[in-house]
Amino acid sequence: MSSRWIRLLAALLAMSTALTGCYNSRELNELAIVSGIGIDLVPGKQEYKVSFQIVNPNSTPTTVSPGSGLPAIIVISATDDTVFGALRKASKRATRQLFFAHAQMVAIGEPLARQGINHVFDIFERSHELRLNSAVLVARDTSAEALLKLLSPIESISTLGIVNKVRNTSNVWGENRTIDVFEIISEIAGVGEITVNGLRIPGDPEEGSKKSSLEQSGFKGGNIMSGLAVLKDGKLIGWMDGSEARGTQWVLNRINETSVNVDVPGSSAKAAVNIFHSRTNVKVKLIEEVPVFHVSIHEEGIVNEAGGFIDFSIKETRDQLEEELKARTIEEVRQAVERAQGMKSDIFNFGNELKRTHPQDWEKVKDRWDSVFAKGKLDLHVESYIRSTGMRTKTYTNPEQ
Amino acid sequence: MRKEAIGPFQLFAMIVLFELGTALVVPIGLESGHAVWLAILLALPGGIILVLIYGYLYKQFPDLTISGYMRRILGRAAGWPLALLIVPVFLYNGSRNLREAGDLLISASYDKTPVIIINSIMVIAVMYILYMGIEVFARTAEIYFIVVVIMGLICAFVVIAAGLVKLDNLFPVLPGQWLEALQSAYPNILIFPYGELVCFTTILPHFTAKRKVNGVAVAALVLSSLMLGFTHALEMSVLGPDIYSRTTFPMFTTITLVNVANFIQRLDAFVILTLIFGVFFKMSIYCYAAVSITADLFRIKDTHRLVLPVGVVVLLSSFVSAEDYPAHMADGIVFLEKILPIPCAVIPILLYVVHRLRLRFKLYR
Repeated sequence: MSSRWIRLLAALLAMSTALTGCYNSRELNELAIVSGIGIDLVPGKQEYKVSFQIVNPNSTPTTVSPGSGLPAIIVISATDDTVFGALRKASKRATRQLFFAHAQMVAIGEPLARQGINHVFDIFERSHELRLNSAVLVARDTSAEALLKLLSPIESISTLGIVNKVRNTSNVWGENRTIDVFEIISEIAGVGEITVNGLRIPGDPEEGSKKSSLEQSGFKGGNIMSGLAVLKDGKLIGWMDGSEARGTQWVLNRINETSVNVDVPGSSAKAAVNIFHSRTNVKVKLIEEVPVFHVSIHEEGIVNEAGGFIDFSIKETRDQLEEELKARTIEEVRQAVERAQGMKSDIFNFGNELKRTHPQDWEKVKDRWDSVFAKGKLDLHVESYIRSTGMRTKTYTNPEQ
Repeated sequence: MRKEAIGPFQLFAMIVLFELGTALVVPIGLESGHAVWLAILLALPGGIILVLIYGYLYKQFPDLTISGYMRRILGRAAGWPLALLIVPVFLYNGSRNLREAGDLLISASYDKTPVIIINSIMVIAVMYILYMGIEVFARTAEIYFIVVVIMGLICAFVVIAAGLVKLDNLFPVLPGQWLEALQSAYPNILIFPYGELVCFTTILPHFTAKRKVNGVAVAALVLSSLMLGFTHALEMSVLGPDIYSRTTFPMFTTITLVNVANFIQRLDAFVILTLIFGVFFKMSIYCYAAVSITADLFRIKDTHRLVLPVGVVVLLSSFVSAEDYPAHMADGIVFLEKILPIPCAVIPILLYVVHRLRLRFKLYR
C-alpha cells in the first residue's frame, strides 16, 4: 500500500521537474534589450507615444568582433492610451520581444511634463521587469523620442552615456542629482513637489541622430544637462537653472562635490573653491501658522585655483575667503528658496519634515500648505571652512601694485 | 515503530523558520504605519506568555498532542469536537500560505507559469517531507536555518551597503504612534505570527529534552522577533510608509532597489528563495499539525495515509478560497481577527485555566 504511494509520488515528482523547467524561458537571441524608454504626448490627443531605444547587438563592438558599423542603437515607438499598451503595440514594429529589465533611463517629453506625469509611473511599480532605479529625465524643449535617437560618440549606447553623465555631474558639479523612478514615486506620494533633471539638445536633433554627425572631432550633437524641472502636482511649471538648481540641491543635502567661484579679497580676481564635503540639516517649525525653515549647512572646501594674488599663509585672508564662500552659498540657497516660494512649490520636502516631526501642526496647515509655504521664513546658517589650499600657499604672481 | 525524536537545536530551528515563514515577506501590522517594527517587538511579551502556556501544557502531558490533552482536560464530549474544529483552521491557514507564495512568485518572477504548477510542486515537496517523517523534517530545518540566516545577513548587508536606508522613515515615534503600534501588536501581531506557534503542540511530543522546552521556545521566539522587527524596519526605512503599505511584496521591492557600485544588483533570487523556504516550512508544519490531530482523533495508526488527503485539500483550497489576491488579503483580515485567535489563544488559555482549576480542586480521577 504505502510503497505504491511512494512510487506514484516519485513518478509525479519526476514529471514535475521534466515538464515545468522551461515555462518562463526566454532566449537571448529572441529578445530586444531596451536601454531607454521615452514617453511623449501625442499632440491633440490623450495618448502616449512611447519610444524605446533598443541595443543592436550586432553593431556593439566586442573583443572578438569590431561590430557591423551600423549604429549601436535603434529607436522604435508606438502610440496608445496606456504605457503598457504602447509597450505591447511596439511588437508590430520590433522584430524581437522587448525586454525591459535593463532599461536605464526614462525620458519624459516637455509637453507631457507640462500636462502632468503623476500617472505615468504606475507601470514601473506594478511590473516586475521594469526597474524602479531607472533614471528619470525631462527632455527640455524637445521630445523624449528625439533624445533617445541621438547618437553619442564615446558610449555606443547613448542612454548609458546619459546615465553616466547624470551621475558624474551630480558628483562634481552639483546642479543635478540622480533621480530615479523610485524617488519620483515616493515624492508624488508624499507631501510637496518634485524636481527632475532636465536634458536639452543643443544642436539639430535630426543631424544628431545621423551617424555622420559622429565623424568629426568638433562634435556638435549630443545632449547637455540643463537645470531642474519643477513639477507642481505632477505638472511642469518652471525650471531652476544654474545657481538656483544648486541652491535646491544644497537644501536637499544632495551636494556631493561642487565648485564655487568666490571673489578674492582686495582684488577683482576670482578664486575657485572646490567644496568636497557638505551637509545640510533641516528643521521645520510652525510658529503662529507661519513655518520657519531652519536650514544649517556645513561645508568644507579646498582652494583649487586663485585668479589673482593671494597669500594664504595669512590667517585673515583665509578667514575672509571663508566669509566670501559663506556669502555665496547663502545667496544661492536664498535664490532657490525664493524662487520656489514664488512658484508656491515646496520642492525641499519641508512639508514632509513638518509632518514627520510635528504631525499636529501639520494637520493645521496641510490643506493650504502651498500658500503657507510661500509665506515661510528661511532661517539659514552656513558654516564654511577652507581646509586646504592645494599644493601651494602663495600664488606665483606678485601683489598688484 | 521507533518513536521519532527531535533535539533542542532542531526545535529551535523549526520555530525560527516557522515564525519567519510568510511574516518576513508580506507586510504585517499595517495599522501601525512606520512604527511597524516597534509593534512587532511590542507583541513579543505576549507571544512569550502564549509560548509558556503551550510549554506548560506540554510538560503536564508530555506524550499527548493538543487534541489528546484537550479530551483529558475538557472531557471527551467537549474536547473531541473542539479539537476537530481546529483541523480546518490549520488546513485553511496552510492553504493561505500556499496561495500567498504562489501569487507572489507569479507576480514577482514566473509571470508565464500557471499557478497550479507552482502550487502543486510546493505541495508535492510538503507531502514528501511529511512521508519521511518529523525527524527528517527537523534535520532539514536545521540545515535551512543556517542557509536562511546567511542569506538574510547578505541581504541586510547589501541593502545597508547600497546606502538605501533612510532613518527619517523610522523616527521619530510620537506618543500617538506608540498607541497605534500597541493596537496593531495586540491582538493582530500577537496572533500572526507568534500565536501560530500553537502548531508546535503537535510536534512537542517528539521532543527529547523535556526540561529545556521553555528555554528553547522562548529563545527561538526572541530571535525570530528580532529578525522580523529588523527586516521590517529595514524595509520601511528603504521604502517609506507609503510604498510599504501599497506593495504586496515589500522585501522584493526593497531588494530590487539594491545597486552596490553598479556591480551587486538584482539579488531577487535571494528573496524568492527566502519566500519558498519560509512557506515550505510553515506549510509543512501546518499540514503536520492537521495530520497528527486527525490521526489522534480518529485513532489512525498509520499517519502516512492522511498525508495525501491533507495535501490535496490544501492545494485545492488554495485555489478556491478566494477569487483574487486582494480578496484573499481581505479574507485574511477577517480570518486573523475572528477565527485564528481561537485555536492560538482562546483554546490554550481555556485549557490552562481549566487544568489549573481541576488540579486545584482535585477533579482528576
